[in-house]
Amino acid sequence: MPIKEESTIVVHSEDPVKKKEKEKEKLVDGKDDKAEGEDLSEEDLQLRNELEMLVERLREPDHSLYRPALETMRVLIRTSTSSMTSVPKPLKFLRPHYPELQELYEKFPGSVEDKGLFADILSVLSMTYSTPLAGHTTLSYRLDSPHPSAPGDWGHEYVLHLASELGTEYSSQVEKGTSVSSPEMQKLVELAEECAKWFLGHNAEADAVDLLSECECVEKLVHLVDNVNYARVGRYMVSCVNLLIPPDDIAFLRTAHDIYFRQARFPDAMALAVRLNDANLVRSVFNAPANVHMKQQLAFIIARSQIPIVWLAENPEETTTDEVLSALPDDLVACLTNTTLTNHFKAFGKELGVTDPRSLEDIYKSHLEPSSARSVPAQGVDSARQNLAGTFVNAFVNVGFGNEKMMVDVEGGQSWIYKNKDHGMMSAAASLGASLLWDTEVGLTHIDKYTYSNEEYIKAGAFMAMGILHTSVRTEIDAPLALLSEQIENKSVPLRTGAIVGLGFAYASTHRADIMALLLPLVADETLTMSLAALAALSLGFVFVGSCNGEIAGTILQTMMERDAAQLTDKWARFMALGLALLYLGRQEAADATIETLRAIEHSLAKQAQILVDICAYAGTSNVLKVQQMLHYCTDHITKEDKKEEAPAEPAQEEGAATQPNGTNETAAPSAPADGTATEEKKEEEKKEDDDTFQAFAVLGIALVAMGEDVGAEMSLRTFNHLMHYGEPIIRKAIPLALGLLSTSNPQLPLLDTLSKYSHDSDLDVAANAIFAMGLIGAGTNNARLAQMLRQLAGYYGKEPDCLFVTRVAQGLVHAGKGTVTLNPFYQDRGLMSLPAVAGILATLIAFTDAKAFVLDKSHWMLYYLILAMYPRFFITLDEELNPLPITVRVGQAVDVVGQAGKPRTISGFQTYQTPVRLATAERAELATEEYLPYASVLEGLVILEKNPGWEDEKMDL
Amino acid sequence: MGNAASGLNPAGGNKDGQNKDAKDKKPQPKKWEPPLPTRVGKKKKRGPDAATKLPAVYPTTRCRLKLLKMERIKDYLLLEEEFVQSQERMKPSVMEDKNEEERTRVDDLRGSPMGVGSLEEIIDDDHAIISTASGPEYYVSIMSFVDKDLLEPGCSVLLHHKTSAVIGVLQDDTDPMVNVMKLDKAPTESYADVGGLDNQIQEIKESVELPLTHPELYEEMGIKPPKGVILYGVPGTGKTLLAKAVANQTSATFLRVVGSELIQKYLGDGPKLVRELFRVAEEHAPSIVFIDEIDAIGTKRYDSTSGGEREIQRTMLELLNQLDGFDTRGDVKVIMATNKIESLDPALIRPGRIDRKIEFPLPDLKTKLRIFKLHTSRMSLSDDVDLEEFVTAKDEMSGADIKAVCTEAGLLALRERRMRVTKQDFTTAREKVLYRKNEGTPEGLYL
Repeated sequence: MPIKEESTIVVHSEDPVKKKEKEKEKLVDGKDDKAEGEDLSEEDLQLRNELEMLVERLREPDHSLYRPALETMRVLIRTSTSSMTSVPKPLKFLRPHYPELQELYEKFPGSVEDKGLFADILSVLSMTYSTPLAGHTTLSYRLDSPHPSAPGDWGHEYVLHLASELGTEYSSQVEKGTSVSSPEMQKLVELAEECAKWFLGHNAEADAVDLLSECECVEKLVHLVDNVNYARVGRYMVSCVNLLIPPDDIAFLRTAHDIYFRQARFPDAMALAVRLNDANLVRSVFNAPANVHMKQQLAFIIARSQIPIVWLAENPEETTTDEVLSALPDDLVACLTNTTLTNHFKAFGKELGVTDPRSLEDIYKSHLEPSSARSVPAQGVDSARQNLAGTFVNAFVNVGFGNEKMMVDVEGGQSWIYKNKDHGMMSAAASLGASLLWDTEVGLTHIDKYTYSNEEYIKAGAFMAMGILHTSVRTEIDAPLALLSEQIENKSVPLRTGAIVGLGFAYASTHRADIMALLLPLVADETLTMSLAALAALSLGFVFVGSCNGEIAGTILQTMMERDAAQLTDKWARFMALGLALLYLGRQEAADATIETLRAIEHSLAKQAQILVDICAYAGTSNVLKVQQMLHYCTDHITKEDKKEEAPAEPAQEEGAATQPNGTNETAAPSAPADGTATEEKKEEEKKEDDDTFQAFAVLGIALVAMGEDVGAEMSLRTFNHLMHYGEPIIRKAIPLALGLLSTSNPQLPLLDTLSKYSHDSDLDVAANAIFAMGLIGAGTNNARLAQMLRQLAGYYGKEPDCLFVTRVAQGLVHAGKGTVTLNPFYQDRGLMSLPAVAGILATLIAFTDAKAFVLDKSHWMLYYLILAMYPRFFITLDEELNPLPITVRVGQAVDVVGQAGKPRTISGFQTYQTPVRLATAERAELATEEYLPYASVLEGLVILEKNPGWEDEKMDL
Repeated sequence: MGNAASGLNPAGGNKDGQNKDAKDKKPQPKKWEPPLPTRVGKKKKRGPDAATKLPAVYPTTRCRLKLLKMERIKDYLLLEEEFVQSQERMKPSVMEDKNEEERTRVDDLRGSPMGVGSLEEIIDDDHAIISTASGPEYYVSIMSFVDKDLLEPGCSVLLHHKTSAVIGVLQDDTDPMVNVMKLDKAPTESYADVGGLDNQIQEIKESVELPLTHPELYEEMGIKPPKGVILYGVPGTGKTLLAKAVANQTSATFLRVVGSELIQKYLGDGPKLVRELFRVAEEHAPSIVFIDEIDAIGTKRYDSTSGGEREIQRTMLELLNQLDGFDTRGDVKVIMATNKIESLDPALIRPGRIDRKIEFPLPDLKTKLRIFKLHTSRMSLSDDVDLEEFVTAKDEMSGADIKAVCTEAGLLALRERRMRVTKQDFTTAREKVLYRKNEGTPEGLYL
């Protein structure tokens, strides 16, 4: 059919007519309408006359002429070609007749079909002529037409125009309160669907998604996409999620999940199910594939996500993990429980040639440090601190390899433990857990001997190590529960601490009810010291991270209400609040009820808790409203007025107040009332000190909320800049930490510069936190520039024990796992946030908000909470028997390809390697050849490959 | 000053109270150590500071995702504004007084008049070598209140009139020559004043205007928009006129320069001007750079012994680099115009530098008529004037010639104090113009 063919030409030629240009042309046209007539070329004149004749025919009463006239008009309009800079000629010539045509249409006497055709033509004409004031004429004529032709027939520009009118019309109808089920709305939705279908067929996936989301029916997309465009649609939708206002974001995620599910892209569907935190979806995706290898691949994803395994059961509430696992085949269980992680990690290390343990000197490289000491001997820097720092460096650097020379691979009695004193021994013993991380079998035998030690601290450390060992690995034996549960009731405070913390590590994100039964009484027990209760709450927070468990929340709230004010003022109280907050990590509105309850509590702790719950609930959502709320918290200068007046005296007082909680918790609690009798003023000062702690959390909150999405993260850097400029000391102290959180294991140069500046701040607390943040953003990267900066800092702060300690720890972090691990909580191509990882990092950072009271005091073991976030940054390819399969892959910087035309490269500046390879935070891998097909969609972690049946080796051809 | 203080600056004297207290409080036994090497004194990258830069938004195609991202940026900026405003409001007035006081003290220290010199080299945090216009170089100290982030080799600094110490930085270092090239007043010629040239208008619109106004169209298509166009053709065919029309139409910054302006007296000044020109263009992006009569500097290279010739060639080389060199230019489009495209250096007009070559031919009959009509539309013609007749005559006439004919005819009528221009005037005028045009060329002699 000739008409059909011509119409396709129009699709291409007509599309980018710009409205602005049109208006301009219109003005010009209007100005010299007469002169134009003379200017026209022959064929233009002819066209014009023909059109005028057609209009004339419509005016005549002869009905039989209407149809041919309209048909001719339609053909003329459709076949007109034009440039992208001007209006098609027929439209231009018909313009003077437009009002007349409109009138004619109103009292059109012709048949229904003719009228439909007329409406169609008017609809197209109004696209060019209608002014914003005239309303959505294109749309209304279109809806008037009883048998409208397909929108695509009139060209791309027409559909775009129609779509834009549809969107605005729909929203104005909604505003007017028209019910969604009313016939006119249904008509709009139908039309939207039709347009979306057309868009999807013409490479305009983004337009289709936009249109349907404006008409609030994105879920219709599931049936519209096919196996060609689903990937582009899915990618576009997922990248929109972070910027949408709830509940649209959930709708988008669900639709994208359904699309992937329908197209049998189970890994993508699983990732979105995990992101939605929906047990039912996870289960249905996991059970969907019949292919056993695909199932294994999904199990790897689940294991990486550390979602509770009970989610795979029909009834998660009443099933235990063991029951679920026993119902599954063994190889799948191994994938699900991460038990092979240690083997893979060690093999990976061997492949990279980093198996050999590193000594402290390998990391410090003190011969490269600027010789700060010069002639002055190292007086004042206590060697105990140095040894303690050594413990951590050793633990972080040799993490997971289990062969370091200080703790594991050492003669009895020579162990590094004995170079530490008291509480130092606890951390030293716990470092065993870090160096043997994930290796549950060997690890237990190593740690076991220390559990019989006479030294209480070593024992406590060993308990902790037991827990750390099992981080993100589940075993059949369940050793931590068996060994640690009895210690919970122990008399000794360190032992109990060790056991509680250990349980938190071992069962993070398992949602196990037996752990709750064990720890919850400790939280509820009001006679218990605040430290133990708070740690129990924190451990529960880890175990039930993101679960919204009402029972635990209720108990913690109860405790907050019932404990007396002095206890709640204790430095440990913040961890109780954090424990509560972690329950709601990433759950958004689910936390609202708890926040309301917290409002009712008067103590200042409630405010801290309120903020913590709020920021955790919205972690990684990049919700601007939350950021605004947090900024409002930071705006208040609670202490400013009073403090400024006594400016000269202030620093001294502050120093006093800051050091005061330094004493152990046992002494701190009774000292508060004693002080109260001394002077009223002093107490008030202290209260103020407590009061602004929440600002530190608010600052962390900005980073926590913003970190999910790049634009927000980058913009929040500016915000921090302002905060640093105007903020009180408590805010300034928290800012480096927030920066560290924002870009964990991702050392970007501008950020390094900023932190390097802060690390020389005159406020030593800010400096120490900045140094720690430097460690955090470089964690596991071996970044040479960062290492150099830290060496200089080590020289610079050579006589500042606190700063030196933090510098050493940061050095250890930068070389964590000898460059094989990452702390970044985002995985699966930075699309998913690991809840336990965020929880771990957050716990450490909260400890650093008052570093002098925790990490720089006796609770340095809190640094181990970072291990919750540690994960190898490898990419290992496995064959279908799950044995490593070396193949060539390309690794390069990830490129954002959402919404780009064609098939752009997803990575840039790549290099080719043999697997296994390591991936940095912003890197992506792709297979170099098509010899194998991956089961997973995102190439990171463990990926199973399948031989490509269609692959032909090039050599064979020759 | 205080908040952003980098490093310990033992010499930093009159800082605000709080920081100073904190500093004094620092453990006394600590010996003074050399501060870390700061970034001061290194050549800075051009372009906006990383701290104030807004994140780039991808994708660039027209879609809701882009809108959402833009809105997100806007939201954050609003938050910042709100925060900063409230903080400024809360700032106690005591501080302001103090600031005021400090400001006057700084002014006292600066004294007046202040000398202007250029910074040669920064020795350490407090000392630098400067040179003055009078010649000698001095080793001087840098006052503590000078913002060291702004100091970079080659910048203009304020000097104390007695000690010649650096007391300030003069920031705006754009070459005044370049600022002159910026077009403040748009020309009055618009596309409507161009007779014919429909294809040329369309091509220039596609390659210069649309990329600036609707970059997403090109993105959707998956192509890079052209970087520039060259307009060529015999004299008087409307090249400059079209450029004026572009300038009239666009809201982008329009820089215009004539090729001969880029030839300077001193060695290196020409290339420097080119660099500055493009830097200004980039700063004010989106912008259009129009270089008229490009053959002044863009002729083919050849071995030359003349220093001036070589300098001109170097200027062109700089232009080549700016057009398609190592640094990518953002939204800067280049229009060049020349009469002699065949004499231009092939490197200058290769695709990638100049992607489109737009020829301006002599007008054909239809166009000639339109040009005639354009020029005569405001003249009062007598009835016997038939423009068709002039158009159909087989003379090679350019647009400029036609204009000249019309003007000449008008002048002739004026000479005789007539109120109308007659056919006779036109005929005479045409002969005159065409005779003048062919003057000197012994036409027909060798035929």
